Amino acid sequence: MLRRLMALSVIAMSLSALGAQAQTSPTSTEPPRASAVDSASIQALKDMGAYLQTLKRFRVSTEVTGERVLADGQKLQHTATADLDVDRPNKLRALMRSPGSERVLVFNGKTVTLYTPAQKYYSTVELDDTINGLIERLEVRYGVQIPLADLFRWGTAAAPLDKIESAMNAGQDFVDGDLCDHYAFRQGTIDWQIWIRTGTRPLPRKIVITSRSDEARPQSVSLLDWKLKPAFTDSIFQFAPPKGATKIEIIPRKTK
Amino acid sequence: MKSSLRKRFLAALTACALAGFTVATVVEAAGARGGGGARAAGGGAGPSAQVNNSRADARTNEVRSSSVNNVNVSRDVNVSRNVNVDVDVDRGCCGWDHPVAAAAVVGATVAATSAVVGSIVYAPPPGCVPVNYGGMVYQQCGSTWYQPQGSQYVVVNPPY
Repeated sequence: MLRRLMALSVIAMSLSALGAQAQTSPTSTEPPRASAVDSASIQALKDMGAYLQTLKRFRVSTEVTGERVLADGQKLQHTATADLDVDRPNKLRALMRSPGSERVLVFNGKTVTLYTPAQKYYSTVELDDTINGLIERLEVRYGVQIPLADLFRWGTAAAPLDKIESAMNAGQDFVDGDLCDHYAFRQGTIDWQIWIRTGTRPLPRKIVITSRSDEARPQSVSLLDWKLKPAFTDSIFQFAPPKGATKIEIIPRKTK
Repeated sequence: MKSSLRKRFLAALTACALAGFTVATVVEAAGARGGGGARAAGGGAGPSAQVNNSRADARTNEVRSSSVNNVNVSRDVNVSRNVNVDVDVDRGCCGWDHPVAAAAVVGATVAATSAVVGSIVYAPPPGCVPVNYGGMVYQQCGSTWYQPQGSQYVVVNPPY
């Protein structure tokens, strides 16, 4: 018993000595706490962005699980899916499905059409631009968000990495069988995580975004599937109104 | 996405349960695709089930905020968001995944509508005008706005 006590006190002493050393030693190998932004994690985002920008023709599919916060803070979860068929620089077809609706967006570089198959309503707007221009203009002018818009922004000035206040490597993980590097970031009112496939094709496979602007912290989880040799043909980027379809007005976003 | 398939199956089961005695109708998708989505989960080529939210609690319409899907938001949108911090987030802008009722936001100005927000009809009254706002289709009937949801229409707060 006495021996055990002695042994314990020796351990305690050596631990406290270690602690004192760590506190006083100016040559500590610990990185200073002030730099919360791990540069290698930022570099991983740059590499992923640069790689994404090299992809010309591809299909990416996502399933997103999101949350709504009710008046009393209780959260409800919902799920939606989307397929994006892409041909850079200026062709995109997106199919978006949520439990109550299905919507199609068709962009041929000159016009963009939003179509709802259930009601056979469509709206067409002239829009002579790239996919990135389309994303910005739809969002700003019409309040229409394109699924996975980040994929087109990473690797461009529209995804400034200097806004990131904290960046860390969170180790490795598997996403649907792919070994991925896991990174976690904080910027503004959001915390976000990304799982990037290891190796020469650094594709994002999973993205989690947690909003800190509401104390209930609603979170979205997106899983991404990639086809880098897609089977689609160019005709999918042309919208021809189906028989019986009606053209309806699209109202620009009202800002107060 | 093996797990997502299971999730979709569960979602379809839930949808079936919710659908109750409503006769499900087939809605043809314009963009045919392989792999199947939520609609296909009911069992391949058969008629797809549609959601029926007529039994959903009214509280589900009282959405005060929701998750976001993008890290990088357009600067212009951010600016207007900062001005209207707590009401502008869900009002037709910037969530492609939102279920229909997300258009009803707590604290939003409810005009003197004749129909109660959250109530459901099988067809909007005559004289309504279909419009697209924020990427969503609505039927605007004076000061009352309907949003299609499956084979029904739900009354939502005016989106703007």
